[in-house]
Amino acid sequence: MIARAGRPSLHAVALAGIAMLLLAAAAALPLDAPPLSLFFCPFRAATGFPCPGCGCTRAFHFAVRGQLAAAFYCSPLGMLLALTSAAHLLWTALRIAGLPYAPALQLTRRARWAAAATLAASWLFVALRNGP
Amino acid sequence: MLEGAVLARCPSCRNTFSTDHPGHQLCPVCGKALVVPEPAPAAPGALQTGLPEGPGTPWERRAELGFWRGWAQTVQLALLEPGKLFAAVRLDKGAAQLGFAVFTISVSWALGQLLEALLLRGQRERLRAILGTLSQDPDLAPVLQRMIQTQLEASSPGWVIGLALLTPVVALVFLYLNAAVTHAVAALLGQAKRGFAATFAACAYACAPLVLLAVPACGSIVGIIWVVVLTSIGLKVTHRISTGAAAAAVLAPYFVLCCVMFLVMGSLMMALRSAAHGAQGLP
Repeated sequence: MIARAGRPSLHAVALAGIAMLLLAAAAALPLDAPPLSLFFCPFRAATGFPCPGCGCTRAFHFAVRGQLAAAFYCSPLGMLLALTSAAHLLWTALRIAGLPYAPALQLTRRARWAAAATLAASWLFVALRNGP
Repeated sequence: MLEGAVLARCPSCRNTFSTDHPGHQLCPVCGKALVVPEPAPAAPGALQTGLPEGPGTPWERRAELGFWRGWAQTVQLALLEPGKLFAAVRLDKGAAQLGFAVFTISVSWALGQLLEALLLRGQRERLRAILGTLSQDPDLAPVLQRMIQTQLEASSPGWVIGLALLTPVVALVFLYLNAAVTHAVAALLGQAKRGFAATFAACAYACAPLVLLAVPACGSIVGIIWVVVLTSIGLKVTHRISTGAAAAAVLAPYFVLCCVMFLVMGSLMMALRSAAHGAQGLP
């Protein structure tokens, strides 16, 4: 749903700034060199199984290069987050420029279950693809 | 007229705005007409039980209290009387809350690094030598080698200075990501009753125990655990939800990870046991 809205709040602007930072880092930093190559998942190191966030770095890396299939393959959740970050950044920029509309999300019970199911499905996909 | 501004939410655009009078008025965001109700008379001791909107924390009133006094009182309240602090939070003071968290984390971290360099220099050099030897051991697992390499690089003077300069940015990013994840989980559980600003306020003031980053060695561990506890208390008060719901919203990600870890461990144990039985020819 889209509703009329004024200027974006401080939090919306800050989150857009962080989204820009993450997308820029994903575009600029290579995956196989520090600092990204130094990242590791403690959950995965302990269990051999990926955590829900595993693959998100690679998903961002491919998503900013427009390779959405590769991003999805690395982590569906990561691809969704990258796309959401880009959309939020773009929309906030437009609102700063004067667009008087903003998304008005109604978090109904059904929407919450759908979000939880999407998260679980993404995790299952990554776990099955990258099992120990 | 109301005694001071209050926050009102427009039923049309759902934006929150500040107003100093009740009754019919226009939303300053979408321009639609709305009615701001008269505030209910405050019960005696309302500050302890939670007002509809707080009078402001000492940090949010630092213009009248002074910078250091406002900061010290806020940290003191966060550590000793968190319920009172979170009940006083004003949700329209997001910039002040952000400033508090970034300032507290940055200064404490820089102080901690300085003290650690002064007090634990001998141990640090010895540790660096041991880690340097270990990282060249080819028998060591690649994950451990990478962990040691990261530790070595992060403790070099260049990294320390670079990190000190970057700490405010890192603190800001950490704070927003933490608030976003916490809010997402709270929303999934249906407990994000008062919007992102309430979650952000809880997460920002919950960073107060990170003053312990200034204590070398164990300070960071104690501080981080305290942050998790304070975030739960903050969510409970700012969103006006139950203790269980607040704890669930904060601890759910850790809980899910732990459950899955036990599930995986249990499955592996079962698989190993059945493999061992199979090897011995047992049923």
